[in-house]
Amino acid sequence: MSLSELFPQIHVLPRSEKWRLVQLMLADLAREENALTIEADESYPVWSPYEAFDAADTMLRVLKEESGK
Amino acid sequence: MTVPGEEFPYISRTPPSGAAGLSPSLPIDLILGRNSVSDFGLLDSGAAVNVLPYDVGLRLGAVWEEQTIPVQLTGNLAASEARVLMVSAAVGKFPPVRLAFAWTQSNSVPVILGQVNLFLEFDVCFFRSRSLFEVKPRSTGSV
Repeated sequence: MSLSELFPQIHVLPRSEKWRLVQLMLADLAREENALTIEADESYPVWSPYEAFDAADTMLRVLKEESGK
Repeated sequence: MTVPGEEFPYISRTPPSGAAGLSPSLPIDLILGRNSVSDFGLLDSGAAVNVLPYDVGLRLGAVWEEQTIPVQLTGNLAASEARVLMVSAAVGKFPPVRLAFAWTQSNSVPVILGQVNLFLEFDVCFFRSRSLFEVKPRSTGSV
């Protein structure tokens, strides 16, 4: 649903609900902004298995064994 | 003969977070025996290995106890046990290839496509400024 379709319905909302909608939208935007921010003194998980060279060696060996069958 | 590459768009992962949330996620069909799973694999050129989350392995019909080759992962995945699982994988219109995965007991990750051996099977060019990447099978040689 587009904003142009929503707007006529929003326009007829009571004043209190319009303010509630504004608050919800501001909170939603703030949450998205925070999701993009890396904070100091916070720890963040690193799921990428970088430098897992022993695992890579093992998997290369398995691939070679399979292709040699 | 040079095989033409296939282009794929960067896509937004959940939760959607605008342009910063776009990632090079490759549509991929994973095949094990008679089972197949269609998923998106994160092209992670910094990852040493491919990683398969636990639930995707189960959906492929893999049995944990039957996988006998352990591998040690790094980062946050180091805390989870992982074993080698060999599957076939189809990308775009290209012929299927064999991929080795570190099948982890974690479900906190997407399918990760890393150096061993997605990047050994396919040449990948990233065009981040245009939000697309190109994939084509490696031209010569073998693992």
